[in-house]
Amino acid sequence: MASVPSSSSSSSPSQPKTRKKPGQNSSPPPPPQTKWQTGTQERLYSRRLVDALRATRDRTQVQESVGSRAVKEAADSALALTARGQSRWSRAILFGRNSCRRKLLVKAGGKIRRHRRKQHGAPPVAAAAAEPGVLKEQKVKERLRKLGRLVPGCRKLPAATLLEEAADYVAALELQVRTMRALAEALSAATVSAPEEEETEAVDPIAIAEQGS
Amino acid sequence: MTTSRSSITEAEINELISKLHALLPEARRRGTHRASAAKLLKETCSYIKSLHREVDDLSDRLSYLISSMDVTTSQAEIIRSLLR
Repeated sequence: MASVPSSSSSSSPSQPKTRKKPGQNSSPPPPPQTKWQTGTQERLYSRRLVDALRATRDRTQVQESVGSRAVKEAADSALALTARGQSRWSRAILFGRNSCRRKLLVKAGGKIRRHRRKQHGAPPVAAAAAEPGVLKEQKVKERLRKLGRLVPGCRKLPAATLLEEAADYVAALELQVRTMRALAEALSAATVSAPEEEETEAVDPIAIAEQGS
Repeated sequence: MTTSRSSITEAEINELISKLHALLPEARRRGTHRASAAKLLKETCSYIKSLHREVDDLSDRLSYLISSMDVTTSQAEIIRSLLR
């Protein structure tokens, strides 16, 4: 990628919101589509990703190779960091990595319980009281539960919060995929050709590496 | 905003659903508002799962690439990434 993406970053993506207040702010947060698509966020995340990957590589033993799971965890942590703790899923990722989980969970208001398998009574019981009509259907409730399992840290949220978290998470995941793919392309081009070349063609690194070595 | 005991109205739920719908790739192709809530949730779940799979594949690829990098390549890669 030789050109810098010239996106309309008219909205300021980095508003200094306090992390201690997970509730509502006075101004509505920007919609996930624009928030995760600004060039600033992309640059922020790609820098964080490179740092995290370099740290992972330094942590790996000399004889071992960098594992794929370590890469994924580094990418997820970098993504959660870029979210600046404004969403539940990002807090759940970050707190899940930390060793002192309990202390931080209490600090976050006790709403994130990733590793406690306590199943309270059926969630529909609590949510069925005075709800919009569409949410009372069994199919919708099942699918909402499935969605809650997919988004980290959102197993027992009410429907509205879960939908918001899911929208934010989807946009963030798209950014993650874009960035990782661009990084992989850049690395492939760097590994097989001279460093002066800037073109990023879709090459298969394994095949080229076999030819080159 | 508050109606009787619920803290969320039907209009808000519908708005959130359409916001989610706008994020899915299928909505960008068709641009319709015809999806029902159940269908939309199902598509969201499968989209998230496919994104997870892509991340896993890319992690595999990146772990291979990183392991086969040497020092000079890594410096070029870092400079290049920061120029994006």
